Amino acid sequence: MPADAANPTAAELIGRCAEKDRAAFRMLYSQWSSRLHGVAMRITRDPALAADATHDAFVQVWQQAARFDPTRGEASSWLMSLARYRALDMVRRRGREVLGHEPVKEEADQGPDPLSALLTATDGGALHRCLQTLSEERRRLVVLAFVEGYSHSQLAAKLEAPIGTVKSWIRRSLTGLKACLAT
Amino acid sequence: MSGSDIDPPDPAAEYVLGTLDAAEADAAQARIAADPGFAAAVRAWEGRLTPLTLLVTPVPPPEALWDRVQASCALDVPAPANENRPGWWRGTAIASLAVAAGLAAFIVLHPAPAPVFAVLTPIGTTAAVLVAFGGPHGGIVVRPSGAIHIATDRDLELWSLAAGALRPEPLGVIPPSGREILPIAAGTQLLVSLEPKGGSPTGQPTGPVMFGGTLQRANE
Repeated sequence: MPADAANPTAAELIGRCAEKDRAAFRMLYSQWSSRLHGVAMRITRDPALAADATHDAFVQVWQQAARFDPTRGEASSWLMSLARYRALDMVRRRGREVLGHEPVKEEADQGPDPLSALLTATDGGALHRCLQTLSEERRRLVVLAFVEGYSHSQLAAKLEAPIGTVKSWIRRSLTGLKACLAT
Repeated sequence: MSGSDIDPPDPAAEYVLGTLDAAEADAAQARIAADPGFAAAVRAWEGRLTPLTLLVTPVPPPEALWDRVQASCALDVPAPANENRPGWWRGTAIASLAVAAGLAAFIVLHPAPAPVFAVLTPIGTTAAVLVAFGGPHGGIVVRPSGAIHIATDRDLELWSLAAGALRPEPLGVIPPSGREILPIAAGTQLLVSLEPKGGSPTGQPTGPVMFGGTLQRANE
């Protein structure tokens, strides 16, 4: 997105949050809260928990904006990660193994190319290409873990595979992705 | 890929992927704070995998969440000086809502004193329902565009479907001149169905839903 005064980038807004610019914080919330909340909803599958995760993530944005270094990572990664980690912490604390809740809908599994949404992002094309190098089963593992917040045991149940096998597949998939994305 | 059968664990990657259990995740978080190399590895994995969040449909958070965030941040953001409206839209910079509908997108260019707006429809179609903030009584005006032609024994009826609700609430028949409804929360869906003259006899839509869209704040 081109940066200008009327259309600041997320990184610029975070920089202004570090200077305690409330208007920038409001704008950042307007632009990003739905994406963060969507991710939190997907992982927690609980509106109240998701709201807590989104709330906590934005409080962290305000409090820790000075820690964001645009030379060391993308603003989108920083923002989305705050919400993901909070949501994951919550489901871990609440015991996602015990709940074993099933996803309402796996959008990532639908359509002829369920990963095609990646192609809309400048840095998504490479990930899309590299995910295609994995077998369908291993690609699903990565997507279910990252997007749905599945634990090892949930993945094992979902794919009807021993947990040790799942762990090994995940490691192999991550190694392959890292190598592919480096090329 | 290497020829080895066993890939070494990569705690930074698995932390970002989200598969570590609580104790392992706690350990990873502690290591991020203490080990710059590990923190950099985590950031690199966040960069690699974050595009996957594009697979997730955005969901607007509850309306009240921004107030909670402000309170938690000890922010006391004053409402704009000209803001003197009730409840749900307090604190917004531009007091306007837009329905982003499949058929019609309503864009407020200037909220006051007389909103200027355009309705964008798919090329080749003109049928649309206009939804505008700022009716004479402070409500939301809902008016069919002149291009909607329906049978004389039918009426268009308006419904609201609150976020998470399973059944829509009837808001009445829409006369050709439009009607004004009370302000309702952003995130609420507005639906328009084709009903027998006088409106649905059952209190729920009985005909096809012809138009739909979600109320959004125009400045978001």
